[in-house]
Amino acid sequence: MSRTTRWSPLAVLGVVAILFSACNSSASPSPSSAAVAPSTPASAGASASAGASVSAEPYTGTSYPDTAVDCASKPAGYTGEFSQIKAVDRYTVEFDLCAPDVAFLSKIAFATNGIQDSDWLAKHAPDKSYVKTANGTGPYMFKEWVSGDHITLEANPNYWGKDKPIAKTLIFKWAETAEKRLQDLQAGSGTADGIDNVAPDDFDTVKNDPNLQLINRDAFTILYLGFNVDKAPWNNEKVRQAIAMGIDRQRINDTFNPPGSEVADFFTPCSVPGACEGDKWYGYDKAAAIQALKDANFDFSKTYDLYFRPKVRGYFPNPPGVAQDIQAQFKDLGIDLKVHTEDNATYLGNSSKGQYSLFLLGWGGDYPDMTDFVDYHFGSGANGAFGKKFDDITALLTQGASELDATKRLDIYKQANNLIRQHVPMIPLNHAASAVAYQADVTGAQASPLGNDVFWIVKPGDRDQIVFEQNAETAGLYCGDESDGDSLRNCEQIYDPLYTYAPGKTDVIPNLATECKPNDDGTKWTCSLVQGVKFHDGADFDANDVVTTFAAQWDAKHPLHVGNLGTFDYFPGLFGGFLNPPAS
Amino acid sequence: MSAVIEAELVDPRSTSKGIWGDTLGNVLRQRNAIVGLVILIFLLLTAVFADQIAAYPPNQVLLGSVAGVKKSSPPCIHVLGCPDDRPQLLMGTDSNVRDVFSRVVHGARVSLFIGFATVGFAIVIGTLIGLVAGFAGGWTDNILMRLMDVVLVFPALLLAIAIVTALGQSLLNAQLSIAIVAIPIYARIMRASVLSVKESDFVTASRALGESPAGILFRRVFPNAVTPLIVAGTLGIGGAVLDVAALSFLGYGAQPPTAEWGSMIGLDSGKLFTAPHLVFFPGLALVLTVFGFNLLGDGLRDALDPRLNR
Repeated sequence: MSRTTRWSPLAVLGVVAILFSACNSSASPSPSSAAVAPSTPASAGASASAGASVSAEPYTGTSYPDTAVDCASKPAGYTGEFSQIKAVDRYTVEFDLCAPDVAFLSKIAFATNGIQDSDWLAKHAPDKSYVKTANGTGPYMFKEWVSGDHITLEANPNYWGKDKPIAKTLIFKWAETAEKRLQDLQAGSGTADGIDNVAPDDFDTVKNDPNLQLINRDAFTILYLGFNVDKAPWNNEKVRQAIAMGIDRQRINDTFNPPGSEVADFFTPCSVPGACEGDKWYGYDKAAAIQALKDANFDFSKTYDLYFRPKVRGYFPNPPGVAQDIQAQFKDLGIDLKVHTEDNATYLGNSSKGQYSLFLLGWGGDYPDMTDFVDYHFGSGANGAFGKKFDDITALLTQGASELDATKRLDIYKQANNLIRQHVPMIPLNHAASAVAYQADVTGAQASPLGNDVFWIVKPGDRDQIVFEQNAETAGLYCGDESDGDSLRNCEQIYDPLYTYAPGKTDVIPNLATECKPNDDGTKWTCSLVQGVKFHDGADFDANDVVTTFAAQWDAKHPLHVGNLGTFDYFPGLFGGFLNPPAS
Repeated sequence: MSAVIEAELVDPRSTSKGIWGDTLGNVLRQRNAIVGLVILIFLLLTAVFADQIAAYPPNQVLLGSVAGVKKSSPPCIHVLGCPDDRPQLLMGTDSNVRDVFSRVVHGARVSLFIGFATVGFAIVIGTLIGLVAGFAGGWTDNILMRLMDVVLVFPALLLAIAIVTALGQSLLNAQLSIAIVAIPIYARIMRASVLSVKESDFVTASRALGESPAGILFRRVFPNAVTPLIVAGTLGIGGAVLDVAALSFLGYGAQPPTAEWGSMIGLDSGKLFTAPHLVFFPGLALVLTVFGFNLLGDGLRDALDPRLNR
């Protein structure tokens, strides 16, 4: 009896050990789960411990997927450009593409591609706690998130980069209305050191206040009136073309947008090469529009629905005002619209599922390339907001994304722009400028046209903390799955992508990668990584972390392909599509 | 002095002009009520002649049709020194470059209609419930009045918001919800009046003469119980206008671009400090309306109260 009692704890331990090893080994054979902890086989439970000598340990690089996607015969439903991502050695990653990607560096520099620690992700996967906390290599470390109130970050004392964070603490708060944000800024540095999106009417208020400074953000945005081309009456191309002529976009721009904004003659702002090739948008002609509607047998007797979300964005400084003006302009054409609002959480989801027949939405540019604007909206990886995709447009955009010859590329986008103009899946309204405001003694603050303001080079006067008030609460910090600017701004302070945008500018510069080089035909990018970088929890950064970061976004069946909403909106827009895409 | 003494000496019955004539006389004898009545007549005329008074249609965007017009611009009245090169706009423009004056004027039409329709609906339903409950008594009374108590349990505006959320956001639904919330008030008043009136001798007399219960109810009881209802109704209109405006302010009532005071304030509430006229004028109109109905309601109460009858 006594023997059994003495042995039983050991037996339990043994069973646990067997179970544990079984769990580990059973995870590795399946290709989808192999990368939950890609470095596990190599590190054998030792490599993650902080302070261990990095170079002394054996290293096994992982590949995702185990067998490269055959580009000649892609799996059913796969429209993406990746073939395989490989950790060649501890500090070298290779991206194999099915076709060259001109904007590859700009894309990997985007905030959703900040590098995550594979072990840390695996540890936080069961309860999805990586959505509400964070562990990056960036200048600021996550400290706390008080739901509904603020997020606190603190300076990373071991930050590997050249510019060490100046302010010790960085706090993100939020207030939905521009007026409230301005009041908080006016209340002084204790309440807010900086605010996002000053209301256009308040530009002068800020400029005339000696305690404040206004920093303009260039117009690198688009606000559009979208149609679901599957839904009557907007399923008639002639009707959409008529409306395109009947909307006075100049009036909307003059009335609601701040100085520096422009009427959109093309979907993409003209500073992007290829954006303004082709024919300009339809000129405003009310009489012709009404006649065209009559010719298309438009039913004027019905009331149609217009949807918008009453949330101020950089591209949309006055949502209710513009919505009512659109309503008034349709009334001038003889069409009655009923305006509906939807709260922020449901609006983006519903619109991307194509539930709104007529809706207002916009886009703030992420990187200066056509693919960022047109591919996300009209490309093969676009969501269903505009209904069915136009094959002639998607074919051209796929071609444009991989065309290395600049002149040929311009010609492709000229054709694509003309087709967008012809099919009118949406009416481009304005490229709105915006501005941020800071206390006058804050130095180093920027308003990047891409919206990726970095805070570690900002000096908040004689204080050691920066309080920045954004438009809305951060949705989540699992950055690959996030798509709103507020969350991504948080991500940019915590996570480092391989390349990044120069602060306040649109140039792409090396970051966690010392260099990424393409092969001759542009289908293979090899990136050398910075050595000796550590994550905030002390773990070492290596090539497997890069593989996991991308794989989790790329493969819709990857165990880490779960997040706040789990939609991973950006990835298919950037890289053409998910591996194992969910059946739509 | 002598006129007063003479008036006191005259037999009241000989100068009586009937109950309504007397009431009007009593009302006109009170300064408060007169002020209320004047305000309401002014509002009524504004509502009726809104098209003639307003410079522009309420939803017209002035861009393109009026030279030099800007959004959210303050009032410009030429005789008060506003430069001639700027367009004359009595209350300025709103953030959609519409004439605020025209919208406030047309808002009177919407708000008065809201007030009368909402309270009218509540009174009709409430009166029927109160009459039946009070006259029938017993179980009917119990069930009906407990039902009314249930409605009264909820805070009025919250219940209204819940009803609008269920029915969908529109001005009509907002009115309906405010009316539903107000029904118990009128039902209780009516029931109380009926309970006191139905024991009167003339009701007993009617019954003795063989009049049908419905006849007694509508020909004898109702006319004699209606007085407090008129007072409560008049006071209620002001409240209803305010409640519907509150719903519209929150986005549950009038939908854009309807020129309704509450939604006008709601739309531009953020501009309180940069363009205060956008909130001030519709707010003033609301205050005036509610003030008018309250003054008249108080006056009516005093005038119709037999104990205060002079």
